[in-house]
Amino acid sequence: MADLSVDLGKFQLKNPVMTASGTFGYGFEYNQYYDISRLGAVVVKGIRMTPSHGNPTPRVVEVTGGMLNAIGLQGPGVEKFLHDQHYMPFLRKTGAAVIVNIWGTTVAEYAEVASRLDAERQGITALEINISCPNVKAGGAAFGTDVRLASEVVSAVRKATTLPLITKLSPNVTKISDFARAAEDCGSDAVSLINTLSAMAIDIETRRPVLANKTGGFSGPAVKPVAVKMVYDTAKAVRIPVIGMGGIMNADDAIEFFLAGASAVAVGTANFVDPFTPLKVIEGINAYLDRHNFKSVRDIIGALEA
Amino acid sequence: MSTCGEILSNTNLKNDYFAVEFYAPETAASARAGQFVHVRIDDTRGDWILRRPFSICDTDPARGTVTVVYKVVGKGTAALSRLTPGHRCDVMGPLGNFFAPPDDAVPVAVCGGYGAAATFMLTRNPRKGLLLLGARSEADVILTEKYARAGFEVRVATNDGSEGVRGFVTGLIPPLLAERPHEKFCFCACGPHPMLMALAKLLRELGQEGQLSIDHRMCCGVGSCFACVVKVNDPSGPDGWRYARSCAEGPIFNLKDVYTGE
Repeated sequence: MADLSVDLGKFQLKNPVMTASGTFGYGFEYNQYYDISRLGAVVVKGIRMTPSHGNPTPRVVEVTGGMLNAIGLQGPGVEKFLHDQHYMPFLRKTGAAVIVNIWGTTVAEYAEVASRLDAERQGITALEINISCPNVKAGGAAFGTDVRLASEVVSAVRKATTLPLITKLSPNVTKISDFARAAEDCGSDAVSLINTLSAMAIDIETRRPVLANKTGGFSGPAVKPVAVKMVYDTAKAVRIPVIGMGGIMNADDAIEFFLAGASAVAVGTANFVDPFTPLKVIEGINAYLDRHNFKSVRDIIGALEA
Repeated sequence: MSTCGEILSNTNLKNDYFAVEFYAPETAASARAGQFVHVRIDDTRGDWILRRPFSICDTDPARGTVTVVYKVVGKGTAALSRLTPGHRCDVMGPLGNFFAPPDDAVPVAVCGGYGAAATFMLTRNPRKGLLLLGARSEADVILTEKYARAGFEVRVATNDGSEGVRGFVTGLIPPLLAERPHEKFCFCACGPHPMLMALAKLLRELGQEGQLSIDHRMCCGVGSCFACVVKVNDPSGPDGWRYARSCAEGPIFNLKDVYTGE
């Protein structure tokens, strides 16, 4: 049994496999299938100050090699998240490491959410700043595709909390490592990437976009090579840890991300295909390390021979 | 809750309609009318990755089997229709809530097309009821004999009049109420969205009880992704409604919760 623990600078995880925000709800549903405290961390769906409806339906469509979604960050709002028994109180009881994904429609809202979570931080391992959702009109990717705005958000959140901060980056930019460096400069303790790729599907019979939101975010196995390259580029550009995700369906996929420089990985769309995927990825990483005589998963981070 | 279900049979019922029988003893043991299974149909070419949700039509707990009745509508269901006995599919379920007509009411299944699969297990109710089935034409009328054998009275409406009366399924309700004015009914419905909305409005006008199976394009099947949401009344919310996840909070919604505004 290899050592699966990883060090993400300001915090440590018992294993390097987390869930990608938006693909795991708030942990409650999957805890009926397995003990979610077995995961490296549970990253919950995006939280803002107020409740939000999200987008009209259809919100998802399947495409070759993956899916598009335009959920639009439906959520309960920070107060319900902190106090309703199905959200944070439930997560505290499980003992899982919890990373809360946060968003807002203004810089001030991002900071306000961070501040509220900071005030009731028991059980919260870190915050993940979502500046990369492609499916909301205000906020999200509007901040994540402009280096100046991204810096403003990260700086404002940094001032609002002493919790470890992860900045989740958008792949819908010319050079993702510029954004990673900006996040690092503004006090982010880690970066996570990639969020979904901006995409569209058209119903040729009705001649309309399939998604009610017209466009959505592309995820699933087809995006993995894009994500691996972006993690590779980013890991070379920053000193803070990189959390890699995008199309991970099994342990082999995850190992590519470690070799490219990721210190941890997240499983997203694969949760919808097989709820047990994150556990299978943990087991598979361990088997790979044993097979190659590595004592620790840390031995393969950035270990690409090139 | 998740098993590798061997296909025991996969037969063509009529036109594009098929019935597949999975060996899934845990699912068979507890499934109730209106619940669904989430099935992973293997694909080796990467054309699709997501599971497909199917209403559970029938179960045989003694044999450990679950029967799903489906229509070939896309790539996933086309692939499913080609699978032969012995093939295994990952079957999650039973998922979602179920129809629960009160004991003192006559259960009436109001269905559009193969929506009739979702309500079939209502025939296990001690009180025998009726199936009101709407379809575009005779070609889409299925499961009526199965209901009749189970002791349900069957009435059919088709858009073109090729079977039963000409018209919509909702048109079968006022005559039923006129015939049996002193009876208490519970209308349990599954079908296309416009049919369900029309039905909800009609049942409210008539002061009848209803439970409707409503969903939308589904993804995770367990409540984590928020794809399959439907609008439900929520007086506490600023807009009077909220999006409920049909997989986890439904797919059966009580008539009083069904949002029919725009």
